[in-house]
Amino acid sequence: MTAALVLAGLLAMACVVLVAVPFLREPAPPDDTLAAPGELARRQLELTEERDRALAALKELEFDHRTGKISDVDYRAAVGEYRHRAAAALKALEPRLEEHPRRVRARD
Amino acid sequence: MARKGNPARLVIALSVAAVLAIFLLYTSLVAQGTPSLQPSQLPGHEGRVTLGGKVVGTPTGDGHDAPLRFTLRDRSGTATIPVRYEGSVPDLFKSGREVAVDGRLRNGTFFAVRNTLVTKCPSKYAPAKKKTPY
Amino acid sequence: MADLGRAALIVTLGLVLWATLAGALAARFGRRRLADSAGNALLAALASTAVASLVLLGALLRHDFSFTYVADHTSTKLARAYSVSAFWGGQEGSLLLWLLVLCGYGAAAVLLNRRRAPDVVAWTVPVLGAVATFFAFLLVAVASPFATQTAPPEGAGLNPSLQNPYMLAHPPLLYLGYVGLTVPFAFGMGSLLAGRADERWIVATRRWTLVAWTALGIGQLLGSHWAYVEVGWGGYYAWDPVENAALMPWLAATAFLHSVMIQEKRGMLKVWNMLLVLLAFGLSLFGTFLTRSGVVNSIHSFTQSSIGPWFLGFICFVVVCSLALVFWRLPLLRSKTRLESLVSREATFLYNNLLLVAFCLTVLWGVAFPMLSEAVRGEPRTLGGPYYNFFLRTFGLPLLLLMGIGPLVAWRRASLRSVGRTFLWPFSFAVAVGVGLIALGAGSSLPGLLAYTFSAFVLASIVLEFVRGTRAAGSFTLLVSRNRRRYGGYVVHAAVVLFAIGVAGSAYGSSREAKLRPGESMHVGSYTLVYRSAGTTRVANANETRARVDVVRGGERVATVFPGKNQYFAERQVSNEMAIHTDWLRAEDVDVIADQINANGTIYFKALVKPLVNFLWIAGVVFLLGALIALWPDAREQRRLVARYALAQG
Repeated sequence: MTAALVLAGLLAMACVVLVAVPFLREPAPPDDTLAAPGELARRQLELTEERDRALAALKELEFDHRTGKISDVDYRAAVGEYRHRAAAALKALEPRLEEHPRRVRARD
Repeated sequence: MARKGNPARLVIALSVAAVLAIFLLYTSLVAQGTPSLQPSQLPGHEGRVTLGGKVVGTPTGDGHDAPLRFTLRDRSGTATIPVRYEGSVPDLFKSGREVAVDGRLRNGTFFAVRNTLVTKCPSKYAPAKKKTPY
Repeated sequence: MADLGRAALIVTLGLVLWATLAGALAARFGRRRLADSAGNALLAALASTAVASLVLLGALLRHDFSFTYVADHTSTKLARAYSVSAFWGGQEGSLLLWLLVLCGYGAAAVLLNRRRAPDVVAWTVPVLGAVATFFAFLLVAVASPFATQTAPPEGAGLNPSLQNPYMLAHPPLLYLGYVGLTVPFAFGMGSLLAGRADERWIVATRRWTLVAWTALGIGQLLGSHWAYVEVGWGGYYAWDPVENAALMPWLAATAFLHSVMIQEKRGMLKVWNMLLVLLAFGLSLFGTFLTRSGVVNSIHSFTQSSIGPWFLGFICFVVVCSLALVFWRLPLLRSKTRLESLVSREATFLYNNLLLVAFCLTVLWGVAFPMLSEAVRGEPRTLGGPYYNFFLRTFGLPLLLLMGIGPLVAWRRASLRSVGRTFLWPFSFAVAVGVGLIALGAGSSLPGLLAYTFSAFVLASIVLEFVRGTRAAGSFTLLVSRNRRRYGGYVVHAAVVLFAIGVAGSAYGSSREAKLRPGESMHVGSYTLVYRSAGTTRVANANETRARVDVVRGGERVATVFPGKNQYFAERQVSNEMAIHTDWLRAEDVDVIADQINANGTIYFKALVKPLVNFLWIAGVVFLLGALIALWPDAREQRRLVARYALAQG
């Protein structure tokens, strides 16, 4: 009976310590704000997703054309629009990329 | 080829309407559902019902050579009804067990539909034998 | 030791409460250390729940009957493995398993995502914590597995029909599925709470959903196999409420898996996906409620218990809060993209979703009908097989057809001319198969014939996809490894087709009953069954009575089967042992049931011929293979996603 209570006590203590660790590790940090993307970063994320979608769609159009799902006629009719969308998405990202000079892989 | 309005909304609306229509037609015309009753609720019901309750007394017959005849009582009550059944009898069937069977009430006796006798297992986590072949 | 278990559960309750409350505060006010602390609370909750689980497991293995739960579900004669399975055999233990799996999934989700998307995780933690709090509360205050008593000399034991390997695999797999659906739900709600409009939550939970969905699917198939082989009435699904309880979340999750693909490709259906993930999670809670609360009349009914109202209350709470959240964040979820054509892959996905959800809701209606009709009319009415089968055909056949159409149609807008061309081969093949089947007599069942014809269409379109894709990509392995999700998905579709073929086969079976004396025979299908003799052998825990029956076809004996019954001493129960002869070449099963064995040697037999039933089990293997392919990590995709989201941390 007492063995059980001792073990329970140890368990409770260990859990409390684990929960308190973030505070014990940094008792007085310079910055305690949660890293959340600001308005700008969110907009950029949405644009990045838009870019990835546009590029993936273009890639899939090419693949569908090669596998014969889309005829030459339909392909030629669609590819211009797809390329335009992809270019627009890349362009929308550009000014923001200048603020964040990081190499971004545009293609796989 | 820009389209005015959003065809998705129209498609969804039409599909929902179609589904509802099929559904309402079917459930109102065909599938009325089978009432699940206990012996005390039986009088007055003409059509096919599922009768449930506890087996009391001593059942006779085996369902194959001779019809199985037993008395069914309300789970927690006193109303009883005699039942006449032909078909497969679950191994768990015996006096004191809870069972359910489909059939019709006729002249004071419940005439059961073949192979519809099911027992509810007494212990907690066990499927009872189901007799409807699928 | 029971005290340790109880204490561990109280610690868990405290931890998950902290995770919920502190986590919500931390997310609301953006406090990093508090958010980390809340996340750690989930990790710690896993540890303390694990301790509680080990206590229960130890008691089960030791047959410590001072634990009421152990005495109720095991006995000294029970084999070790089944003492373990007793963990989830009863209500309290299965709730503990739910909580353990939830903490496990939660801890993993937090660990994997807290550095990558701290703001989403900050809100996901309180959602996970809230669900865990509910279960921990039940375990501490309402249904504790650690109730104690003066130990009786012997326990109640486990029902003999549950003492088989299925009992070890079926419930845990289902739980991995049910609980697993909590993760995408929590991330979805977390994303809404964080005010995020992007797809981070979908990307983060994609594999979770797939794992949960696969586990739920395989778990159900195992259950069907169990019913077919062990329970012995020749069927594998009875539309029982508890069976439906697992089917409904699976259908919703299937719809969800498909519609998130649309959101990823086109940024559409954001609101729909939130609602779907809520439906899937809500149904998995509802499924647990159905199975555990005894509120529905079912042959699986476990207990009448007090946890029913709690579950119902919690489900209502979850639904109301989630709907309010979605409504509040509606402006965020508006997408600019529109469905461009009713003939496009997006459209087929949309139709697929509508059909799946429609079928899911009809099953839900069927399950709730007894409760509703009792409330309205005063007497419960049940809807049976005919109701469900009607809607299975009405929604299932178009769904089957769509599986074949979808891959052949392009995204956005498919010109009818292109569609016509790609359709040609599969369509012709299907028509040829249909005509051939009619010649073979399959026209006796129209739904069956349609199912086979559509299946042929789908299989042809899948094969064509692989062939065309290989030609375009250069090699088969290159094709599949570059597009794991798509081609894994096609393999899963093939599995669904095999399953449909197996189900359709039941429309062409036959069944016969006869009372035979030794030496007499009966006919079923194209077989003759000759009853030779019967005898009883005694084994350790039962008397096994078996009849010797020869299966004859075309004058030749193809097999001998031994149907019979087992009489268990300790439990004083009789079980039915159906004999199955599988003819692989003819693709059918012959099932022989010794329904009634009389003392004078006569036996009342029931025999069934079930065509194509083994396709169901083969489908399970193919399903698993396809799911594994789709799940397999893709390094290139990973790099791309890391690059994309690294920008957001900017």
